Amino acid sequence: MANSIMILVLGGLFGFSINKAGLTKYNKIVNVFRFTDMAVLKFMMTALAVGMSGMFILRGLGLVTFPNVPATYIVGNLIGGLIFGVGMALTGF
Amino acid sequence: MKFILNYIRKETWSPYVAGVLLGLVAILAVLTSNILLGGSGAFENLAGMIGKALAPAAFDNMYFNFIMPPGLTTGVILMIGAFFGGMIGAATSKTLKWGKKDAANSDFQWKRIFGPQNWKRWLLAFVGAIILEYAAGIAGGCTSGLAISGGMLLAPAAFLFIAGMFASGIATALIIYRRRY
Repeated sequence: MANSIMILVLGGLFGFSINKAGLTKYNKIVNVFRFTDMAVLKFMMTALAVGMSGMFILRGLGLVTFPNVPATYIVGNLIGGLIFGVGMALTGF
Repeated sequence: MKFILNYIRKETWSPYVAGVLLGLVAILAVLTSNILLGGSGAFENLAGMIGKALAPAAFDNMYFNFIMPPGLTTGVILMIGAFFGGMIGAATSKTLKWGKKDAANSDFQWKRIFGPQNWKRWLLAFVGAIILEYAAGIAGGCTSGLAISGGMLLAPAAFLFIAGMFASGIATALIIYRRRY
């Protein structure tokens, strides 16, 4: 139960940061594909860089074990990504 | 303190600040509950739950039995939280459009490209979302679950996914916008 509440709060912060970065708006998402507004890319890459350094520092200190890392199957990941992009540019997810 | 409160009230933050927040949340998620922040799995869990109740035979396959077990998983709870978190975010900047007149379709750029009709927006959002979910099922995650959370653990899958996503996203935008690109 306590864990569920923690997850709910984490989800809340997740939604909050996405909203504040403007990723809930159609024009932000589609403009990154038109190279007129790179906010999405800046947001994603900042999150990646912070997450990466944090995770690997914590693992180096032995404070965390990685959860199951997403599986690699080259064709699936690539084709999934290609179809995903179509939906993303259409919907503004 | 006043500066921070004023910053929270702003409609759009610097993407770098919001990105740092998301990165910290992703680390916290692994640290406290050992989960990755994923968005697309929740809908498959819910679809599996509805499908098992309506047509058990059709949903009795590998995918819904083992890969995406139906039920109220952590992903579903996470998405409920994200929904309300997004609403709180909009409420703090007074842009929450719940019940307002243009709530169904408020994006100026969308109206300029596709026209002002609401049904178009809803139809295209529905079709696009089907494409998104299907693709996320193939790839094993979406922008947040695979690209950010997977990339954070340096999973090669994430970077393949990002490459594919931008390649086809740019192509689709080129087709939609044609001369206005």
